[in-house]
Amino acid sequence: MTTTAPRATAASAAAKPSRRKADSFAATEQAGSPVRRRIEKVGVIIALCLGAVFAGFPVLWMLSSSFKSNPEIFASPPSFITKGFSFDAYVTILTDPEKIRFFINSYAVSLAVTFATLIVAILAAYAFSRYEFPFKKPLNVVIVSVQAVPPITLLIPYFGLMVTLGLYNTYAGLILTYMVFTLPYAIIMMTGYFNTLPKELDEAAKVDGSSSFGALWRILVPISIPGIVSVGIYTFMIAWNEYLFALTLTRTNDMRTVPIGIQLLMGQHSYEWNEMMAMSILGSIPVLLLFLFFQRFFIGGLTAGSVKS
Amino acid sequence: MTSAPPVAAAASERSTPAEVGGSRARRAGSGLGPGSPRRRGRSSNGLRRLEPYAFISPTAILMIVLMLVPIGMVIGYSFMNNVITNHNPKFVGLDNYVDVLTDERFHTALGNTLIFTLTSVGAHLVLGLVFAMLLNTPLLSNASKAVFRTIYFLPWLFTVAIVAVLWRLLLNPNGVINYVLVTLGLSDNGVEFLADPSLALAAVTFINIWAGYPFFMISLLAGLQGIPRDLYEAATVDGASRWQQFWNVTIPQLRPIIISMCLLDLIWTSQQFALIWMTTGGGPINVTEMLSTFTYKLAFSRYEFSMASTSAVIVLLLSMILAVFYVRHQRARD
Amino acid sequence: MSNVARFRRVVATGIAAVAAVSMIAGCSSGAPADSNGKVTIELAQWWEPELPKGEFQALIDEFEKENPNITVKLLSGPYASTKEQLFAGSAAGTMSDVVGLDGAWVSDFAKQGSLADLTQLFKDNKYDDSKLASQVQLDGSTYMIPVVNFVYPMFSNDDLLAKAGVTAPPTNRTEFAEAAKKVSALGGDTSGWVLPLSSEAPNGIQNDVMSWVWASGGSMLKKGKPDLTNKDVTSAVEYIKGMWDDGSIAPGSFTQKEQDKVEEFTNGRVGLMIDSLAHINLIRQNNPDLKFSISALPAVDGYEGERGIPYASWGIGVSESSKHKTEAFKLVEFLMSKKINSQLSTMAKAFPGNTESEPDFSDADPLFKEAFDIYKAGKPANEFVGLPVSEDLMRQFDEQFQKTLSGDQSVKAGLEAAQKSWSAEF
Repeated sequence: MTTTAPRATAASAAAKPSRRKADSFAATEQAGSPVRRRIEKVGVIIALCLGAVFAGFPVLWMLSSSFKSNPEIFASPPSFITKGFSFDAYVTILTDPEKIRFFINSYAVSLAVTFATLIVAILAAYAFSRYEFPFKKPLNVVIVSVQAVPPITLLIPYFGLMVTLGLYNTYAGLILTYMVFTLPYAIIMMTGYFNTLPKELDEAAKVDGSSSFGALWRILVPISIPGIVSVGIYTFMIAWNEYLFALTLTRTNDMRTVPIGIQLLMGQHSYEWNEMMAMSILGSIPVLLLFLFFQRFFIGGLTAGSVKS
Repeated sequence: MTSAPPVAAAASERSTPAEVGGSRARRAGSGLGPGSPRRRGRSSNGLRRLEPYAFISPTAILMIVLMLVPIGMVIGYSFMNNVITNHNPKFVGLDNYVDVLTDERFHTALGNTLIFTLTSVGAHLVLGLVFAMLLNTPLLSNASKAVFRTIYFLPWLFTVAIVAVLWRLLLNPNGVINYVLVTLGLSDNGVEFLADPSLALAAVTFINIWAGYPFFMISLLAGLQGIPRDLYEAATVDGASRWQQFWNVTIPQLRPIIISMCLLDLIWTSQQFALIWMTTGGGPINVTEMLSTFTYKLAFSRYEFSMASTSAVIVLLLSMILAVFYVRHQRARD
Repeated sequence: MSNVARFRRVVATGIAAVAAVSMIAGCSSGAPADSNGKVTIELAQWWEPELPKGEFQALIDEFEKENPNITVKLLSGPYASTKEQLFAGSAAGTMSDVVGLDGAWVSDFAKQGSLADLTQLFKDNKYDDSKLASQVQLDGSTYMIPVVNFVYPMFSNDDLLAKAGVTAPPTNRTEFAEAAKKVSALGGDTSGWVLPLSSEAPNGIQNDVMSWVWASGGSMLKKGKPDLTNKDVTSAVEYIKGMWDDGSIAPGSFTQKEQDKVEEFTNGRVGLMIDSLAHINLIRQNNPDLKFSISALPAVDGYEGERGIPYASWGIGVSESSKHKTEAFKLVEFLMSKKINSQLSTMAKAFPGNTESEPDFSDADPLFKEAFDIYKAGKPANEFVGLPVSEDLMRQFDEQFQKTLSGDQSVKAGLEAAQKSWSAEF
């Protein structure tokens, strides 16, 4: 497919064909004539636009709904550009200290989970990648499969456990809980990432007098930044969007996070549709910004992490 | 992506003198973390053997206390007669397992979960791959690719509750999708996507596909950047068509990622609860009943925690099989 | 190396942010312990988010003023998750002292031993329970008191009905079916009746299906045991099936919830619905132009007896594990008192659980007064209250009912199947 075509501008594409033609038939197929390339480009753009409709339309609809009044959301025929365009829903949310608190909590918890998960996962991944030790394989099986227990069944024993440990309705409780859910993924990815790095790197550092930890911290971690960032973003998103445990493990609204705030708008008798949509748009912005900011790390990072896992 | 190689290069440069210092012999014996004969005595050799445990200890403590203990409790529950609601539960052996495994609803749920999960994962993979290939095209400028990449990333941003509510709105008999269908003359009176027993499973699967493909897309996109260009050049020289290159170069190179992601996605999708619960609640009738909704109803609608735990343990066992395969696959690659 | 530098910067910023946020958080987390003999009790409920902001808190403030030695901590959660949260709390022994309850959960919580026996508390506190409109009992002991009741009368869209040539709201089943059929025949996206049957929240079975049985004086139980194959239930189910086959019911029924029902009505797409009075304000606010009226639920033709009106309650109970039952009961007493109960029912647009209380109709919609008269003329009926696993009973019935409606089985077979699965629960 198109991946194989050389990264050439129109000019170089025009310059190359003669040589390529001489090389092989396949090369002609790839570079193609300018006309063919143009057709191909149009095709790719059409396909991308179709995909973008599939991916983006529901989100666009959400955005448009957040500017509507509640009845207009259910109007038939549906309106896209709203008649009663208003920022009311956003104003309501952003002027409500309780809801602002949900956002702050979400940031605090998600950031803390992300950093803590990364540190713990890097340490564990280092062990899995650099050492052979008894129970390594069974440990791996456990780490992969614990993810499979339906969280809903863990709810009750887990709740009791958190109460016993005195972690109920605390940030620490939420952070530790999310770490348990994000660690398996993070360890799997980080192990794969470290496996791609030659062992010479850290062993050489050890000969220089570094401890194993020093080798990890000073040599492996800096090289692995892309992988770390990619795992970090995913961890952040899991923590940011989690609902069930966030609700169960907190009891007062000053400890609660954005997904609960959204759920609180779904009342017994009616939903605040526009506020739900607005809150969810507001909630997604930080994640989107993170993605935009880290895009190059993110994409580079997953490469190395997964290719050779 | 661009800056990693220079860093790596710098680091390995730094390490070159040390290699000369004679660590090659050590490397040959790597595996069991070898001690350095120069700097460490026998006692520290023993310490070194403990090193990996030190590294995994934070993980181990967390997982044992916060994951294995509750899972252990769930397994314990599964051998008791009605825990939680009953203050003096009795040990009943495998009775619960017999009950659950012979329950017709469990079979329905298992079947639906299989269809839902396999279709979702398959579609995530295909869509993720197609989108990743499209986004990797050299035909567009980096800026426009970044725009598309961001749009394609969007479905991943929202909490499941909102995804469910949003799609209920879109798929409503009077919603926008039906409006488009009717306006285009594709349907007379609109389609009850979620309420029609013959369509509901397909509809929730579609929603899940929408919500989950970015995970694959982003990772595969990353994978595509990592494929060395010379592999394609070599294939070109051999006269491979682009289709052949796709099958013989791209796919094999992406295989490890694909396998890891499929494993994670299989496990994650098979326990998808909120999305199904909030769109159909397992209905209409029972056509979207999944293991997750089945388990939930046992626990919180019927208060049969033992049965719910049993069902959870069965799910755990099923995914353990998957996990063993996965670890074995990893071992082969070490 | 710029990546490393940037990464370090990001890490530093992140750590700083976390530190800052946890400082903010640390400052504002409340201090639970109190040394001067003050008692703090918790009230867990889903009502506060349902009511206009601050109003419920104002009532609680009043209680605290009257009882200076008691502090009440309001714990509010989303309705849809309240039950799980209560259940987890009761399993771990950390249930709040006073809890908001739905009649459908009482039996299960009481059996589990997590609710205190209120009859005993009445005695201990010398409370006169004669003013309570109703109590939910199990084996002769009260476990829940309905604080306010939401009745479910019939709403009709006057304009749509008039357009279809129906001049007055239907009063019996025949008229109702006729009206629904005529409204559906208007075409476009209008339908006669809306029937939410989602299995996620199966209370449509209670409010929109069984209500037909109760309205005509029928029952789904016989001596406390399920009796679904009797002629009352059969005729109601056959009746609804008839409307389904006529195409009088709005599309999407099998996944609709109460919240969807009201949106359909508000947007003028359905002629008739059976719905909670709590929605009057919402409908007015969202569609001020909609002309609608409310009336008692139609009964079988020629029925003259008392009409059962379905209702749902915000109930209240005391946790068995509470260390401050006396104080907890004080709060219950306060909420059930004549004045406070009137106020609460006014703000919730519901009817009071204290027989002496009367909602304030002065600022309210005229329809409220009308509904109050309907309420007083009929008798509140909800046979699901106090049944074991009642939500699951609704769900079991729902599944059979959906099969019946989609033509997979006959009415008789559906009811027999439901009867069988219900009998297993009693």
